[in-house]
Amino acid sequence: MTTTEQDPFYLRYYTGHQGMHGHEFLEFEYSQGRLRYANNSNYRNDSLIRKEMWIGPLLIEELKRIVKESEITKEDDSQWPRKNIVGKQELEIRIGNEHISFETAKIGSLNDIQDSQDPDGLRVFYYLIQDLKASSAARVHLLTWLTPRLYSA
Amino acid sequence: MEYDQVETDTSASGNAARSVEGWIIVVTNVHEEASEEDLQDLFSDFGKVQNMHLNLDRRTGYVKGYALIEYATKKEAEEAVKGANGTEFLEQTIHVDFAFVKPPTGAAAPRGSRPAGRNGATGGSRRRSVSPQARV
Repeated sequence: MTTTEQDPFYLRYYTGHQGMHGHEFLEFEYSQGRLRYANNSNYRNDSLIRKEMWIGPLLIEELKRIVKESEITKEDDSQWPRKNIVGKQELEIRIGNEHISFETAKIGSLNDIQDSQDPDGLRVFYYLIQDLKASSAARVHLLTWLTPRLYSA
Repeated sequence: MEYDQVETDTSASGNAARSVEGWIIVVTNVHEEASEEDLQDLFSDFGKVQNMHLNLDRRTGYVKGYALIEYATKKEAEEAVKGANGTEFLEQTIHVDFAFVKPPTGAAAPRGSRPAGRNGATGGSRRRSVSPQARV
């Protein structure tokens, strides 16, 4: 069992685009016990939200379990839709001896997956992101519930 | 780029970190057919559950396997960790611990870490490592 400091486990997800409201994105990054979350939407003058939290060993193990069970590291983004005007998604994961760094277009619907060159692989990616987003949203919600003052201006 | 650090109660003993509204514990190996009510029943034994997240697997619709539960006081959260960790819940052994910890003392940004949003305002493309070879 490695300590958090030595564990190479790393995860970063980014989704974003440049549009009429500027650069809007959501990103979360896990590294060595620290989880960072950033969300920028300029729609109706929403501002950038950034959170940083340190998570305990049990939650770290759960994050790793979700990544492992998705088997995302067996996938390959070579046949995935390229980023485009609508935006892009990036996923970088280091777990054990494996390292992936994927980039693809945003996925608007399950049809986008079905119509792609690699529907099976893209589906694995899609559902992993959904699960990670849900887990991230839950943590952020619990940590910031009814506390608008924590949102940076 | 500055991040808001989630507030921690530095007076607290141990390493658990307090969130704004209370103390959050994580429960893992939760049965895929567990309901919020099941968890509420179990964890109300240790105090008043203020908030709960029981996330579902987006593909299967079943419980993903973990829950986040919030208590108002550290004492309640500690009781829950002590009392429920390693016990059977719907025929599975659950693990319970504090979800958040205090930052390591003198925590600086880990070497090589890159702040969120660096893809940033310029919108330039970033360097990325080469993807693994396709499986044969």
